[in-house]
Amino acid sequence: MKKYQLGEFEEVVMLTVGVLFDEAYGVSIKNEIESRLNRSVSVGALQTALKRLDEKGYLKSREGESTKERAGRPKKYFRITALGKEAMHYTRQTREELWNSIPEVAWKLKLT
Amino acid sequence: MEFYSGGSLETQAYLRYTMQKEIKPPRLFLRFFRWFCTKELLDSIEGDLLELYHDRLEKEGRFKADSKFIWDVLLLFRPGIIGIKNSEYKTNHIDMFLNNFKIARRTLWKNKTSTLINMLGLSIGITSCLLIAMFINHEMSYDSFQPNAKRIGRVVMEYSFLGSDESEKGTFTSTKVAQVFSSTFPEVEKGIRMSKSAAILQLQGSPVTEPDFMYADSTFFDAFAFTMLQGNPKTALNGPDKVVLTESMAKKYFGDSNPVGQGLEIGESKTMFEVTGVMEDYPYNSQFRFDFLASFSSLGQNQNNTYWNANYTTYLLLQDQSSFGSLAEKIPPFMEKESADVGANINFTLEPFDRVHLHSPYSDFVPNTSIEYLYMLAGVAFLILVIVCFTYINLSTAKSVERAKEVGIRKVSGAQPSQLFWQFIGESCLLSGLSVLVSIILVYLFLPGFNNLINRQLHLEDLLTPVFIGFALSLVLVISLTAGAYPALILSKFQPMKVLKGVFKNTDSAKWLQQSLTVFQFGISVFLIIATLIVQGQLNFIHSRDLGYDRSHILSLPVGWGTGFQKVNTLKKELKSNSQILEVSRTGSSPVSISSGYSMNLPTRPENEVIAVNGNPVDENFIQVTGLELLAGSNFTEQQVMQTDSEGNDELAFHYIITESAAAKFGWSPEEAVGKEMILNDQGPVVGVIKDFHFQSLRNDIQPLVLFTASWGGRLLVKINGENIPETLDFIEKTWDKVLPEMPYSYKFLDEDYTRMYQSEMQLGKIMNLFSTIAIILACLGLFGLSSYLIQQRLKEVSIRKVLGASTFQILNILSGNFVRLVLLSILIASPIAYWAMGLWLNDFVFHISTPWWAVAVAAVITLAIGLLTSGIHGIKAALSNPVKNLKSE
Repeated sequence: MKKYQLGEFEEVVMLTVGVLFDEAYGVSIKNEIESRLNRSVSVGALQTALKRLDEKGYLKSREGESTKERAGRPKKYFRITALGKEAMHYTRQTREELWNSIPEVAWKLKLT
Repeated sequence: MEFYSGGSLETQAYLRYTMQKEIKPPRLFLRFFRWFCTKELLDSIEGDLLELYHDRLEKEGRFKADSKFIWDVLLLFRPGIIGIKNSEYKTNHIDMFLNNFKIARRTLWKNKTSTLINMLGLSIGITSCLLIAMFINHEMSYDSFQPNAKRIGRVVMEYSFLGSDESEKGTFTSTKVAQVFSSTFPEVEKGIRMSKSAAILQLQGSPVTEPDFMYADSTFFDAFAFTMLQGNPKTALNGPDKVVLTESMAKKYFGDSNPVGQGLEIGESKTMFEVTGVMEDYPYNSQFRFDFLASFSSLGQNQNNTYWNANYTTYLLLQDQSSFGSLAEKIPPFMEKESADVGANINFTLEPFDRVHLHSPYSDFVPNTSIEYLYMLAGVAFLILVIVCFTYINLSTAKSVERAKEVGIRKVSGAQPSQLFWQFIGESCLLSGLSVLVSIILVYLFLPGFNNLINRQLHLEDLLTPVFIGFALSLVLVISLTAGAYPALILSKFQPMKVLKGVFKNTDSAKWLQQSLTVFQFGISVFLIIATLIVQGQLNFIHSRDLGYDRSHILSLPVGWGTGFQKVNTLKKELKSNSQILEVSRTGSSPVSISSGYSMNLPTRPENEVIAVNGNPVDENFIQVTGLELLAGSNFTEQQVMQTDSEGNDELAFHYIITESAAAKFGWSPEEAVGKEMILNDQGPVVGVIKDFHFQSLRNDIQPLVLFTASWGGRLLVKINGENIPETLDFIEKTWDKVLPEMPYSYKFLDEDYTRMYQSEMQLGKIMNLFSTIAIILACLGLFGLSSYLIQQRLKEVSIRKVLGASTFQILNILSGNFVRLVLLSILIASPIAYWAMGLWLNDFVFHISTPWWAVAVAAVITLAIGLLTSGIHGIKAALSNPVKNLKSE
């Protein structure tokens, strides 16, 4: 039974939010993913992911300052919740367990 | 419709900011995004989008920034982000609807005056519209039950004599046309010849005149659909002396026995016709009205070799609708060949059968209705609706001050503008829905009277057709949207802060709107008053115009063309023995309408030349009876008339009296004309010249006319002195029965005949009278309501002025002066329009009144008086009210 649900893109977003720590809002997350992973992210995809993560309780948001550049629109900053942290750990743990369970032979046979 | 306020103040600031820099993301997409995006995400995502846009604008330029912005917005359109509007509160829509309904009911009930005014106005307005729509619908439905209507053409003949540039046109054709056309042109499937007249029938031994007796070819039933109850439509009219009856006539003549196979004596000669069928009575929207349909061959005509003797109507059943076009091209060259040796130019055109009733200048058996009258009526209906809607708008905007508080509180409690909008629309829906119900009752009550007025048989069942139900529903919808939308929009936009602080007043734009709507309403009234006055003026003119002959106290009796000279002379002598009877004359046509065309010539002109004139066979008393004025020469003598009696004479000799314009046409002065010889029927001398008179409708110019001596006219004119009319009529009938028992007795006064010529104008006059009165009443109702509200609001001002010493008159002037100005303005605007429009109508008549200046004066006085009166009532009430009372409140 799945305890935590975290999709691949969701995981990337969570990790980026973690990387950015206090500076994680829409545009910064998008830019960070794009520059680090060299993959383009649409605002739509990002926002849906953020919304879903928010709903799941992995992220929590707060309204931030507004700047002239944003025409007075507030920034919405995200932080990882305790639950989110657990989910990330869980994901990482399962991954590592899987990694560790791959028998050495498998690596040797990779040419076939 | 969704009303979304669209961005907060910051966004607007941003838009201003970017506009200053003249760089903004594509607005359409920004709006689209705002429209779909859920509320809680909107602000932050929009911020992200704008931030990105600016970054890109700096780094990548406008085009890339724009296109990436659009791409982002499109990719944002996904389930997680699209939000349902108003999703903050999950409102229970049914409860909301019921609540709106309840509030609407309460508001309507609370403001009884305005509700009453609106209901009254709307009900009268909708009733008028429904009645007019029923009438128009009825007129449009003529012959729609004929499945072949689209491919039947009526033949119109046009001819002009060689050397003459005047042509005659009409639906008269000879019997040759149907035959030649159906054998020459493949487009023509069948030809149908018809002739309608009154006929004398024997009902249980005594003669009865049946007005609707028609002869038609056996092909009639191939083209026209009338249901046969008995007999075979294919063969019923084959052969002479066959007749088909309508159901009601079968009852009248044969009672319960089966009429098929039985005989009917028809005509003066009492020819025996065999009844071969019974058909259903014709529908009331049929052009053809006939109770008897006899075979055309009974007429015994054998005149197929001439285009003259054009006394019949011809219809052609075509292969299909497109044949009209190809026939229009083929007929003229064909007729050019055909008429080469006739001595005249003859041509035929086809009128589509389904356009006859509304578009043709020539009526069938039912008087045509001009499509222009229908447009006029539709216009009047529309104007009435406009007035009613404007009243509603005016009253609601006037009331808005009172309702402002309600709106304010609703807004503060969280009502969306769209909810308020629907609340007000709901109110107007309820009001107009109720009005429609009232209207249906009113239609039911007024329909008989309306039928009487327009001389039609409309039925209430017509209202139950899907078309009419749709029409009524769309009326409700249109009224509630047009009348309700403006107040709804205004009221729902109120700023709650202002309203609740209590400084709210009607906005300038609302005042401006009220004033222009009032001007419009009164403009419409002024227009309708002027139009009605002009129509009435023209009708009066028609009635009172000196036609050049006398038509009062003259009876016209059909005496039969075949009735012998001696017999009629005896009748004349017997009648004249009564001192109440001044003069008796036998004539072809009554002076009201002489339309028989004759061709004539002068001995001094080439033989093959012909001149077209109107002619009328008369006896020596015609001029005295009709009071025509002799300009030169003398009247006919009895001797001269007797010379045309074929029973007593082998040599017929004709004498002529011509009108002055006929004399002028031949190039003579009245004095010169006397003694000149001319040829019409036969050569004879002109014995007299009479003054021109109107022997046709005033729509036509006065044409040349020739009276010629004859002993065979089908009509008797009896001039009585106007005293003891019933007694005199009784005497005439008794004498008639004694001398002419074989002819049915019937009479009409010439006045009635004359009036009948202008039936559609009379109807128009009556209808215009009715509906313009209604429109004026409705406009007054509107002004009444409006002034009551506006004055109510100024009650305090009035009271203070009064306390300070203003006189009643001064106060009245302040209160009503504005309305007077508005009414004056509406007169200024509407009069020229009315003048222009009615000028067009008058031009339809050759003889018409000049557009009267006094119509404007009358309209101005009426509207001003009404305006003053309606607004004055409230003004006086306010001016006389006790100022202490008004000032003490609040």
